[in-house]
Amino acid sequence: MKPVLEIESVVARFGAEKVHDGVSFSVQRGEVVALIGASGTGKSVLLKEIIGLVRPAAGRIRLLGTDVWEASAAELNELRRRFGMLFQDGALFSSLSVAENIAVPFRENTDLPMDIIAPLCGFKLALVGLPPDTGRKTPAQLSGGMRKRAALARALALEPEILFLDEPTSGLDPVGARAFDTLVRVLSDSLGLTVFIVTHDLDTLLSIIDRAIVLSAGKVIADGPVSAVMKSGDRWIRDYFSARAPQPA
Amino acid sequence: MSTAAGWIEHEVEDGADVLYLEGAWRLSNLTAIVLALRSLKLRASRFVLDGSRLEALDTAAGFMLYSHLARLGCTETMVDERRFDPHHERLLKLVHERMKCPPVAARSVHLGLVQRVGAAAISVWRLTRSHTGFVGALTVEALGLVPKPRRFRLRETVSQFEAVGLDAIPIVALVTFLIGVVFAYLLGQQALRYGANIFVVDGVGLAMCRELSPLLAAIIVAGRSGAAFTAQIGTMKVQEEIDAIATLGLSPVQVLVIPRLVAITVALPLLVFIGDICGITGGMMVAGWQLDVPPRAFIDRLHDVLPLSALVVGLVKAPVFAAFIAVIACRMGMLVARDARSVGVNTTSTVVQSVVSVIVLDAVFAVVFQHLGIR
Repeated sequence: MKPVLEIESVVARFGAEKVHDGVSFSVQRGEVVALIGASGTGKSVLLKEIIGLVRPAAGRIRLLGTDVWEASAAELNELRRRFGMLFQDGALFSSLSVAENIAVPFRENTDLPMDIIAPLCGFKLALVGLPPDTGRKTPAQLSGGMRKRAALARALALEPEILFLDEPTSGLDPVGARAFDTLVRVLSDSLGLTVFIVTHDLDTLLSIIDRAIVLSAGKVIADGPVSAVMKSGDRWIRDYFSARAPQPA
Repeated sequence: MSTAAGWIEHEVEDGADVLYLEGAWRLSNLTAIVLALRSLKLRASRFVLDGSRLEALDTAAGFMLYSHLARLGCTETMVDERRFDPHHERLLKLVHERMKCPPVAARSVHLGLVQRVGAAAISVWRLTRSHTGFVGALTVEALGLVPKPRRFRLRETVSQFEAVGLDAIPIVALVTFLIGVVFAYLLGQQALRYGANIFVVDGVGLAMCRELSPLLAAIIVAGRSGAAFTAQIGTMKVQEEIDAIATLGLSPVQVLVIPRLVAITVALPLLVFIGDICGITGGMMVAGWQLDVPPRAFIDRLHDVLPLSALVVGLVKAPVFAAFIAVIACRMGMLVARDARSVGVNTTSTVVQSVVSVIVLDAVFAVVFQHLGIR
């Protein structure tokens, strides 16, 4: 089976500083993959390169069979309908209500009439576990956790094949963060969704992830199931996994 | 038996309605699928959904299927699913579970005319009340500075003065000069008919000093600096910097509002004075070119007909305008909610409120000065 996401020796520079120095990995359909690494190792930059916002200096990125940086504008737009992106703080449009936010992708990319879009938006809210009256609120009236769920509903609107999440649990309380993780896993299992998560959250990693990719000094230093990555000899990885206070036996 | 355009085939087996789902049940085909669903004639007794001919299924299509069945009065016990691909089955199960909460309308509520007028009246009343409260708080904070004058932020005040006053000089000078030119020109056209050219001096001098220069300078400052104050303070509010100031034991009013208030109150009269000079210069140039009133004669005449009181009236109004602009702008900045849009909304509101209040104040001043016999 062809991977849904292939990264081949990607190089990125900011001025003289090399952020990525030959990053390569691939993601198979239906996998839930986490990209981890210390702050400043360019995780978010890599995400932006994948979804076509920041151009890498060299290398190839194939997403759902399309080369992101060789594609024409029309191909890129076609591709954009097939993946969903959840930005760090949700990035809901503040001038629209939550339901209108979710309606935006339907209105812009489909020719569905309003009497189909409206109930669909309500359903998307229910799908991410938000109560129905959330739709009428403005994003400013929501708590951080609800904002992320609402943004996830918007990201899921066009039935994406692959979902990108940038730090989905940052700023959430542990209970909310675990609930969000579970939601992502349930959606992935039921919808056959491929999920690519950039995260710092150790609990996310241990609970819902199939595979972890570790980025350090511009390179992938470990790639495999979490249990295998944990055994890696790298110093940063050791510190990372032992950063959590020891659990009582 | 009946076929709905390639999406659903409907047969009756053992007294149950069997729906064979066919093709790709995807969002891109949703309009056709909904039409197919609506064209079905079902007897709403017992349903079997057969997934053996299904090529693809997503949540949107699954939702539409179930919500259509629910609208027909179908309950959970009346529907059976059979021969679905395991993936599709899981998806349908999730859709079914999550659908139990009723969906909501996506449109926001639109208010009628009466409701809009009422809501606007209430919000104006609330705003006025909150501005008044703010003036009170501002007074208390300002009085708090009297025993501890060292807390007054001179550096911040000077830097605000530079932005509000010095940086505004070119635009104020240009605008008042041009208005002086236009005013003298129009007035001159009329005066020329009666051979009363020299009276243009009276008109230009009085109008610029008493009304035009104070109003123009105040409106420019409201648009330039009032908007800037709201945007600056509002952005700080969004980023919780105001809370940080309070947490550090400082008063946000003393740190942010009072320097701006002082700076603008000092700067506006100076701008008005510059405006007076530029406006009269504009008038003088037109008088020289078009009306045979040489600058020398213009200035002599100005000396005779422009009372000092006219200049003072203009300069007295300026700090009052300035204080209103500063209070409105800073208050609107503080009222910014924690989202990006509200910074823009409040900045716009600041400009509207301050321009309106400057003009209202100007009218009040005109009446009061008339009654006091000040001309």
